Parts: sequence; structure tokens; C-alpha cells
Amino acid sequence: MADQTGVAMGAASVKVAEGDRGRGIVGSLSWFAARQPLGFVGAILVLALVVTAIFAPALAPYGPKDAAFAAYVPPGGEFPMGTDHLGRDMLSRIVWGARLSLYVGLTSVLFGVTVGALWGVVTAYFGGAADTVSQRIVDSLMALPPIILALALMAGLGQSVTNVIVALAVLLVPTAARTIRSVALSIKEMPYVEAARGAGATEWRIIFRHVLPNTMATYIVLVTVNIAYAIVVEAALSFLGLGAPPDEPSWGGMLTAGTQALETAPWMIFFPGLAISLTVFGLNLLGDAIRDLTDPQLRGGLG
Amino acid sequence: MRKYILHRLLLFVPSLLGASLLIFVLMRLVPGDIAEIIVYQAGSESSTVQQKQVQEIRTELGLDRPVLVQYAAWLGNALRGDFGQSYVQSRPVTEIIRERFPRSLELALLTLVVAVVWAVPLGVISAVRQNTWADYLVRVVSISGLSLPIFFTGVLILWALVRFFHWLPPLEFVAFFDDPVENLKQMVWPTLAQAYYISAPIMRLTRSQMLEVVRHDYVRTARAKGLAERAVVYRHALSNSLLPVITFVGWWGGRLLGGIVIMEIIFSVPGMGTALVQAVSNRDYPTVQAIVFVMALIFLMLNLLVDMVYGWLDPRIRYA
Repeated sequence: MADQTGVAMGAASVKVAEGDRGRGIVGSLSWFAARQPLGFVGAILVLALVVTAIFAPALAPYGPKDAAFAAYVPPGGEFPMGTDHLGRDMLSRIVWGARLSLYVGLTSVLFGVTVGALWGVVTAYFGGAADTVSQRIVDSLMALPPIILALALMAGLGQSVTNVIVALAVLLVPTAARTIRSVALSIKEMPYVEAARGAGATEWRIIFRHVLPNTMATYIVLVTVNIAYAIVVEAALSFLGLGAPPDEPSWGGMLTAGTQALETAPWMIFFPGLAISLTVFGLNLLGDAIRDLTDPQLRGGLG
Repeated sequence: MRKYILHRLLLFVPSLLGASLLIFVLMRLVPGDIAEIIVYQAGSESSTVQQKQVQEIRTELGLDRPVLVQYAAWLGNALRGDFGQSYVQSRPVTEIIRERFPRSLELALLTLVVAVVWAVPLGVISAVRQNTWADYLVRVVSISGLSLPIFFTGVLILWALVRFFHWLPPLEFVAFFDDPVENLKQMVWPTLAQAYYISAPIMRLTRSQMLEVVRHDYVRTARAKGLAERAVVYRHALSNSLLPVITFVGWWGGRLLGGIVIMEIIFSVPGMGTALVQAVSNRDYPTVQAIVFVMALIFLMLNLLVDMVYGWLDPRIRYA
């Protein structure tokens, strides 16, 4: 059964790919949907997340911190997802949670990967002692298991949404620095870098005009891959009670509140858990599809 | 081989020192130092008395010295197994670690064993019976394991236990050597929840490695000379598929350590993870510092071990 659909999809994708080369938006979308059906599902989930996050004030019936209702009202009627232990509307908190998750995920990843990329490019370019020292610093950061490092950072920085972003960014810097460094090492040996140097360009001009722009592809992959990761780690930190402050609508924090009332209000764990899972699932599917489409070696791979 | 090991060891020491220095400096970034926190949390006295107390505590703890001097002193003591005094529990941090460490170690080992024991065979079955219902089942299980965050699976299992079996988190932890049965009863759920999470990538990797390896010539040769299918799969294909899986187990060590913190919190296991989370929220810096140090040490040793096993299994690496 599943086999047949697979074959049918394959045939459809060939047809679409052949007959649709100069396509418009709808055409490209259907091409993508046929080519990467799972990636398309991922794209829809991510789109839903983004729309929810942007239009949170319009979509949520109440504010995320409004505690004006009865506690532990089961889902249904006025509160489709029930209310929590403080009588706040769960639906509103989930909707606002999308905004918080996306905000934290995006800013921390952009911040961390950018710093890491600059660091990697500069040390790769200059090499020598600075590079060796910087590699040892990267080693030291990587010697700490991610969640443990994040916990230690939160202990040092104190609990707030901004500090969660800083902590997540710090987690991402070493990996980004190392990955981008290895790319930059090969770029700096390219003939066009030689040519720029021959033409009398300064070191910094070469770094920013020639080496850095050519690490862009890796940069984009690093960003897409790590957003889901950052969102999960944020939820994990808040789940442990050490991320966003408890009144913030963080899905992880809502899950913790739910564990205090497992028997009376199971909906308090189902909805936030489902929200995190769908988000991660969607981002992973989309990320895989983008990676497969950009890397010809992985097309039709063994998975 | 000796040169390879030496090289790995030379990288090990600076990483550990760097990580510990990093944590040490980080713990001193706190707005208002530790002395102030201790005094102002406890105190109801007038501000001049408090000021004096802050000064006294600073001198007592050596906080008035330069950071690097403090670090050297801390490191010297740490190497002798003395991590100082916990601010919150009035006992040496070393004692806390000695009490908590075996519990977390047990949970980690159980998780790894369970995960490997069920993931590798399932990965093999999934590859050998590619595109059958068994394969689809294994793939669905592993994809769901990858997508559900570990704290959600943990909480779901906890909910099911409470709802359907009226399970209650144990009030008191029983050590394995005191009562193995009771101990395993407490450990089984966190172990299974985490093993499910960790086994997903192991399954996927075993499967894709097997699929790649069975297409090699030597596997065809093994079949051609009339070996039983079982011998081909297990002796020829599997043993060569496991190499990347082993490095992967090492890489997952970091997530395993993070996961243990979460599992211990959900299932109330009083191990290193719970101690760490408590210490962070109580701002008990000596304890945070010591636990993070021990975890970095374990993580680095795990990576070292994996590198060595890898070098031992694959001669190309050690001579490269």
C-alpha cells in the first residue's frame, strides 16, 4: 500500500518536474509538494507556527498572563484548551508561546551563529597562534554537555528571557565557529582570494568581501538546522524551571506546571507538549527537505 | 597507536582546564557576589552590620583575591578531591557528589545498555527487511522518538503511570546494593523513557549503515561462497556497520548527560542532575561548579574512550 503511493508520488514528481520548469508560485509549490511531500508537510507546520506567532494578539482570545478565570476548567466551550492552575486560558498561552518560542529560537540562533561565523572566518584567515588558542577555547566550550552548559550559564546570568537567548547563543557559537572555520580554510586557498591579494586588497577587505560571503551556504544551513534545537533547549530550560520566568508563556514552563496537576488537569501537559512536538517535527522535516534539495548527493538517499 | 593516544590525551587536559576556568569565571559574573547573596538572604540586621558581614565572608572565602588566584586555589583543592563547602547544605560538596554520582551513573549505564540492546537489532531487521511492514514500523518508532522532546515523553510516561497504575514517585531512594529489586523498580521508567529517545538515532544509523554495507563486494563474496544468511548479516555486514554507530554513541554522551538531568527531575531520582538543578536555583555556586566539572570530566573521558575504540577498530585513523 505504502509502496504504491511511493511509486505514484515518484511518477507525479517526474511529470511535474518535466512539464513545469518555468512555473509560477503555485507551480513551484506543487513541484515542492510532489518532490518532497514530507518537506511540504513541514513547511505547512512551520508556516502555521510563524502565522500564529505574528498574529498572536489577534488570535489569542485573552492575554497570556490574564488570570481572571476559574482554575482547572477542562477543555471545551469558552476555553477550547481549558485553563491552568492559575485560571489562565491555555489556548491564549499556547498561542503566545508560539511567539516566545520563535522569538527565542530565531534571535539566539542568528546571534550565536553569526558570532561563531565571524570568529571562525577571522581565525581561519589569520591562522597561527590566534587560531590555535581559539581552537582550544572552542574545545573547552564543547567539553561541556549542552544542557549542562546552558544550566551553568543561567546560574551565572540569572533568570530572564534575554538571558535564555544569550545562553542559547553561547551554546551555538563553538559549533558554528568550528564548522565555518573549516569552510573558510579551504576558501582562503582559492585562486580568487589570491587574485584579490595580488590586486592589493587589505586583509580585512579580503575577509569581508571574499571569504565571508562564500561561507553563506554553510551559514544558512547552520541557522535552519539549529532553530529547532534552540527551541527545544529553551523549552527544556524552562521545563527545569531555570529558563524563562514562570509567568512567561513558555511551552516548557507550561509543561512543568502540568506535572504538578497530572491527574486533575492532564490537558495542561498535552497541549504544550503537542505544540513543542509539532514545531520540532515541522522544522526538522523542512530542514531535511531543504538539505536534500541543496545537496545532490543526498537526493533519493537511503534515509 | 601510542602516538595517537598521546595526542588525544594532550588535547584532553587543556579542554578540561579551559572548561573549568570558564565555569569558574561565569560563577563570578553574578551581579552582587556570593558574600552579598549569603548575607542579604539571611539578614534582617542593619545595613552597616551587613556591610561588615559581607567583608568578613569575602575574606573568609578568599573572594577579595584576584580571580586567577582564586581559580588556582580552587583547582588545587579540586585535584585533591576537595570542592569546598556547599552554601546551602552545610556539608562538603565532595560528599554530595559521592552520594549522588553512583545513582546517575546507574541510570546512564542502564539507559545505554537498553538503548543499544534494542536499537541495533531493530536497525538490522529494518535494513534486512527493507520496505516491509517491519521496516516501516521501526522507522515510524524512530522518527517519533526523534521528534518528541525527551521531557514530553518523560511527562507522558509519568502521566500514564499515575493515571492507570496509581504510581507515586518514590519518597526515598533505594540503592542497588541495598535492595536490587526495589532499586530497579525505581529506575525502570526513567531508563525506558530515555532509552526510547536515545535509541531512535542509533536505529536510523544502524539501518542506513547496514543498507550501505550490504551492497559491498565482500558481502556478495560471502554470499557467493555459500555462507548462511545469518553469518553474512552478523559477521560480515553488521561488524562493519557498527563503526560509525560507536562514534555516535560517544557523541550522544552529551545528550545522555543532559537527558539524565531531565529524567531525574521528572521521576524524582536524587542524582547529580537533581542536585545540579537545585544548586542552580539556590545559587549554591560551589556545588554547581563541582557538578559541572565532574560532568565535563565524564563527557571528555567518554569522547576519549570513543576515539580510542575507533582508532583501535579502524587502523586507517590511527596512522593518519
